[in-house]
Amino acid sequence: MIVRDTTLHAKNVKTTFQPGLLTKWLLITVAIGFLGIFIVVPLIAVFSEALNKGVQLYFAALTEPDAVSAIKLTLITAAITIPVNTIFGVFAAWAIAKFEFKGKNILITLIDIPFAVSPVIAGLVFVLLFGSQGLFGPFLEANNIKIIFGIPGIILATIFVTFPFVVRELLPIMQEQGTEEEQAAITLGANGWQMFFRVTLPNIKWGLLYGVILCNARAMGEFGAVSVVSGHIRGLTNTIPLHVEILYNEYNFTAAFAVASLLAMLALLTLILKSFVEWKTKKH
Amino acid sequence: MGITIKDVSKAFGTFQAVKNVSLEIPTGDFVALLGPSGSGKTTLLRLIAGLEGLDSGGIYFDDIDNTYKSIKERNVGFVFQNYALFKHMTIFENIAFGLKVRPRKTRPSKNEITEKVNELLKLVQLDHLAKRYPSQLSGGQRQRIALARALAVEPEVLLLDEPFGALDAKVRQELRHWLREIHQKLNITTVFVTHDQEEALEMADTVVVMNFGEIEQIGSPEEVYQKPESAFVYSFLGRVNEFRDSEVASESDKISYIRPHEIVLRKILQGDSIVSEVSHIHVIGSTVRIELRRYDTNDLFEAEMSIDQYQKMGQVKKGDILYAEFKNIVVFDKNSENKLNHSGKSGIRNSLKSKLI
Repeated sequence: MIVRDTTLHAKNVKTTFQPGLLTKWLLITVAIGFLGIFIVVPLIAVFSEALNKGVQLYFAALTEPDAVSAIKLTLITAAITIPVNTIFGVFAAWAIAKFEFKGKNILITLIDIPFAVSPVIAGLVFVLLFGSQGLFGPFLEANNIKIIFGIPGIILATIFVTFPFVVRELLPIMQEQGTEEEQAAITLGANGWQMFFRVTLPNIKWGLLYGVILCNARAMGEFGAVSVVSGHIRGLTNTIPLHVEILYNEYNFTAAFAVASLLAMLALLTLILKSFVEWKTKKH
Repeated sequence: MGITIKDVSKAFGTFQAVKNVSLEIPTGDFVALLGPSGSGKTTLLRLIAGLEGLDSGGIYFDDIDNTYKSIKERNVGFVFQNYALFKHMTIFENIAFGLKVRPRKTRPSKNEITEKVNELLKLVQLDHLAKRYPSQLSGGQRQRIALARALAVEPEVLLLDEPFGALDAKVRQELRHWLREIHQKLNITTVFVTHDQEEALEMADTVVVMNFGEIEQIGSPEEVYQKPESAFVYSFLGRVNEFRDSEVASESDKISYIRPHEIVLRKILQGDSIVSEVSHIHVIGSTVRIELRRYDTNDLFEAEMSIDQYQKMGQVKKGDILYAEFKNIVVFDKNSENKLNHSGKSGIRNSLKSKLI
């Protein structure tokens, strides 16, 4: 009886295994081929073009004052955008996941707007609001505050574009966890802060980090929205992506690719961190 | 600490979860809130804890008005249905949590906390698991840790929401005894929610039967089982046969109930008995359930007896004719809010005789 069962089982496996093997390798080949052409080759091209004229020129392109200023501005933008979006992202995700209120669905939809809207439109919205012809234009001009064609505009546009990353990452985690652990903390005498820092935050930390990494990658790499509000003033309001564009338009390919290679490296670093966090989350 | 609940109501949107409930729980009592899902028992428990705010009424612990006090001020221990242990903390840290979050002035020293946690781990007999994480524990162990954690803050009232709901039958049985023992040792006023009548009857000093947000009956396990005040209580607290005597016009709004073990089966006619035909015999361990069909009304009913009684009666098989005596039939009025109409043996037997034979 037992013997018959196993032979039957083996037969089944054999018949389904043969075509499976073929499909498997076909799919893998297609996937690798596609990724190779569309991702790996361009990535190699960036680095080879950047190093085309030697390492010295590569570093010269990166240390040139305009490039340094673009790198600085990008770092400043990320340094402001990420904490802001992290804090508000946690607030929004918390409100949506753990409380019931009217208009919750509208809030979720609003959070998704930056993903749904073209970044150029996002930039234009800020020009319409804060530009000299805009809604708050006269007020800002009267008080000598410059937002559009300045650093504040770049930061605002970046915050807008990258807002959903943290929330979107946290929402499913927080919804799945429910509120029982928090309630338990409260019944044990914890106050709001203790509950958040000792129970809520440890439970979401890997998801939060994941969201922050994605948010950072986008904040540093954002082109469209920033391009609209920046004004492209060299050494003042250029971020890395804008600087790359300017160099490229001036046929300064080596320098353009050298600076672009920074973004490519950021992408690789992001992927490595992302895999690490994913591995950590799974282990958790 | 005793708990007084005065005329408490709570609605979620249009759903009235708890309706004008009043309840008096003396200090040290072990109370079961028993009812089907949606009967408001968990809501009532959460209202006592302060996890929900009430719409009207009052909640007092001894003479202290706790109606609008925060959870923290009420000093209750709450054990959640799914334990709600902190996943990222060890068992030790879980139990220590309530002590560690105290303001510096009242927080015990590190050594005192360690001592207290170890003491509690011993109480729940799991001191060897202090360094594990909740995910490494079985359901029964998690439940014990959840209780230890709730006890760490030295609550004056212990509240448990379906404490054994997620456990398998054997572990549940063990934990019931264990929880009773703990209650006897600590003598904290304890309220637990359950939908399992057996659990309520076996563990509690006082059973509060709830249905549709209202209390149907309060009493000792014996009282609620032997003297149910409503048809709901009667049918909820154990297996029951239900007879609707609609064919008797004058009593169309009455329903009679009898428990299977209160039916006496005989092979020969004796006293007021009903002729019935055996349609099924189930032997379940030490008890035997026999399904029969009444000859007069064609209703199916179930009789239960011990295997000894069954063997004494002699061979019975499907299709046999037996005489069933309904010893303790109870009649409830369908229309008068299910309240008891008659009870006991006198009177009912006579009225039954006219109906049945």
